Amino acid sequence: MTSKTRIPIQLQINGHRHELEVEPRVTLLDALRDHLDLTGTKKGCDQGQCGACTVHVDGERVLACLTLAVQAEGRAVTTIEGLAEADGTLHAVQAAFLEQDAFQCGYCTPGQIMSAVACIREGHAGSDDEIREYMAGNLCRCGAYPHIVAAVRQAALEVAS
Amino acid sequence: MTVHMKRHGDASDGTEAVGGRLSRVDGPAKITGAAKYAVEQRLDGLAYAVLVESTIAAGKVRSIDTDAAQAAPGVLKVLTRDNIPPLKTASDWLGTPPPDAPYCPLAHDITFSGQHVAAVVAETFEQAVAAAALVKVSYDETPAIVDLSDAKAGDGIPIDAMTKEWGDAATAFAAAPVRICAAYNTPREYQAPMEPHGLIARWEGDQLTVWEPSQWLDGMARTYAEWFGVPFENVRLVSPYIGGGFGSKALALGHGAVAAIAARMLERPVRLVMTRPQTFTGYGGRAATRQTVTIGADADGIIQSIVHRGVNETSIDGMWVEPLGSTTSIMYQTPNFSSRQNVVRVNSVVPGAMRAPGENPSAFGIESAIDELAYEVGIDPLEIRLRNYAEQDPHAKKAWSTRQLREAYAAGAERFGWSKRSPEPRSMRDGNQLIGWGVAAGTYPVRRAYGEAMVRILADGSVEVESSSIDMGQGTYTILAQTAAETLGVPADNVVVKLGDSRFARAGVTGGSRLAGVMTGAVHKAASAALDELVGLAISDQRSPFHALQANTLVVANGRITSPRGEGPEVSIAELLASVGRDRIEAKGDTMPANSTAEERYKNYTTIAMALPHTEGDYSRYSWCAHFIEVRVDEDFGTVRVSRVVSALDSGRLYNPKLAESQWKGGIIMGIGQALLEEGIVDRRHGRIVNNNLADYLVPTNADIPDIEVISVGIPDPHSSALGGKGVGELAIVGVAPAIANAVFHATGKRIRDLPITLEKLI
Repeated sequence: MTSKTRIPIQLQINGHRHELEVEPRVTLLDALRDHLDLTGTKKGCDQGQCGACTVHVDGERVLACLTLAVQAEGRAVTTIEGLAEADGTLHAVQAAFLEQDAFQCGYCTPGQIMSAVACIREGHAGSDDEIREYMAGNLCRCGAYPHIVAAVRQAALEVAS
Repeated sequence: MTVHMKRHGDASDGTEAVGGRLSRVDGPAKITGAAKYAVEQRLDGLAYAVLVESTIAAGKVRSIDTDAAQAAPGVLKVLTRDNIPPLKTASDWLGTPPPDAPYCPLAHDITFSGQHVAAVVAETFEQAVAAAALVKVSYDETPAIVDLSDAKAGDGIPIDAMTKEWGDAATAFAAAPVRICAAYNTPREYQAPMEPHGLIARWEGDQLTVWEPSQWLDGMARTYAEWFGVPFENVRLVSPYIGGGFGSKALALGHGAVAAIAARMLERPVRLVMTRPQTFTGYGGRAATRQTVTIGADADGIIQSIVHRGVNETSIDGMWVEPLGSTTSIMYQTPNFSSRQNVVRVNSVVPGAMRAPGENPSAFGIESAIDELAYEVGIDPLEIRLRNYAEQDPHAKKAWSTRQLREAYAAGAERFGWSKRSPEPRSMRDGNQLIGWGVAAGTYPVRRAYGEAMVRILADGSVEVESSSIDMGQGTYTILAQTAAETLGVPADNVVVKLGDSRFARAGVTGGSRLAGVMTGAVHKAASAALDELVGLAISDQRSPFHALQANTLVVANGRITSPRGEGPEVSIAELLASVGRDRIEAKGDTMPANSTAEERYKNYTTIAMALPHTEGDYSRYSWCAHFIEVRVDEDFGTVRVSRVVSALDSGRLYNPKLAESQWKGGIIMGIGQALLEEGIVDRRHGRIVNNNLADYLVPTNADIPDIEVISVGIPDPHSSALGGKGVGELAIVGVAPAIANAVFHATGKRIRDLPITLEKLI
């Protein structure tokens, strides 16, 4: 595949428009990390099993490693870098993760937080068991799960109030 | 980006001092995506490498056809054994001088499936992936020894250094009125950190920079330097954040050599990241183990003899010993004891360190066996542990430095409600679910080493701490900020901790749960020296506002300097430095003996040969814990769920309980995975790990884990570390699997001695 097979695409990420030329086979995850230097979205398995690459596309959580960059054209992509407000005020989920110590190494954390934001928005943070179930697609090998549940519970209450 | 956040604690409530529950200081970077991990550096001219691995477990590479790959778009180089320069063999982690033989990270002789045989470097990641699939390797295959149960595996090699014997264990066992004997097996397990192994290597002349997640910058820099025959100082390792290691990121590995060779050949920086499947064979997980434990006891359950035999697998040409008698030999008072161990060579990557290597599988044996003995003699499993409580180290015959295990049993049992346990198996149920309660203890030695740190007080009164040690989630950034803040009398907010660059003050391995004890001691020492100089200047410099006071000492608190009695001025550290014309105070402190040579210092930080034995001097030093676990087993389907965990742990003084509790819970959760889920499955036809991904190698998910309660029962242990802490990170996984196996027995009446405890073993 030569450079001629690169195609121009436009991505709307965190409210900003990015124009780039990529091969059609470039995943959204690699476009973010390698082409746009948005490395907050993590690559843990590159095969849709760990959840570290979770981003929002049109408000829904998707796995960026199983999404081609071209598929995200014309859609609004939100990554961990776009979650806090422009003035730096943290999203309630981010603040709760820090307060509850819901991470250790931090590598799964952006994916956990993006999943948690969607989990609350989906209405699936009604009980600890429901949070556990709807956060089960995001692996954390450090084992922060009980604190993730506590953070999602806390943030869900704050978002609701 | 600027992060605005609520302050979590300030100096007034003690949160920032050592022992306070300060939130992670690296937290804001991690929750906003700002934290750049090693391979996320943006470099001009970066090329991408992808590994090609062997598909047979034993034999030889006959030929490698690289034509199609080399001709593929964007390909810069296809590396094989035939076209890369040989490296030198590096010394091992003890610093043992290596044989004068070349080292090649791309194999010709195949000893396991998944061995690196080629690598493709291309302009883009996608091009490298596509071209790697075009490399055609043909082999002359020979029969492989697929695992420990292979008929060709044999009994293995005795490891005499593992032998621990006292009394006459065989005779005492034969004479004991109560005798039990059982075999306990653990499978291959994998560290599976969320961040895959990988690196960026860049040469500038004969200077090598490696951005790589690392638990040991100086040790890995030594290996790279020896491989390439360049001075140690020419190699810089950079590892600002590490996405989990659990023992797997402490050593330079073959893939690192491949990337560094490619970077040198192409004169471009090269990034190489393992695919998730490659992480199952690119380095070793926990070795599969077999143990037999025989216990002879009297009718009251008092142990007379323990005879223990262990076996672990290693690779065909590498040596890994998983010390299986480590917990066995110290947990209980035993007048007669014998433990021996063999290793068996199989066609596998050489196994490696995974959270509490040795103690963890060892505890599965002895802590299951003591439970079996409890039922045999009809004594409560907690009571039998207390009856056989070791008042001193039974092996080293020395006093414990501290052993709060009795307190752990008491606190855990109280909180769990152990006294309400119905002793008979299958006697507790909730509808279709059989309920079981199990207990087990765990331990981990206090590994000690010398450390070094740089502490600077800057012109604005802020403080900088530098160390080439690392933070992979244990909280190094935070506890070192707390240590410097408390020692110097400044708010923790004013301390910036810089880690993960081998140009900083040297550091030994972050492994064996030693980092916190080593580094808090080193930072305390360096900060104390900086404080002495600051106060000395304030007292004696003629330009100082305190000069006229003729005080013997001054007080520094919250970043301000006063006299002890309050007379005289009160000035900030910044004002004092300005008044005496200094722009900084700098103190490098290390805890090595004062007369240490440069060679000894190098050896201390780049090998583990100078680690201090945990039984040195008059004391035996260990962390301790007791786990109380409830399981619910579906009577029809045999599915096991852990529904409640209460663990009481003695890690001595905690430098930051909030972060220590997180590590403990993480260890317990990894232990739940070990007990119920985790197992590398070998395809016996090909000697290949077939579940080499995160959907088939099951690690716990959020839905598998209940709320977990941890209780600290530790007291400061002055014999274990400068500030009184003992190890935290590995302790809590030890004893979880047997506690669950014991709970499963209580629930079902079935004793499972092979991990993991999966449903087909219960129905």
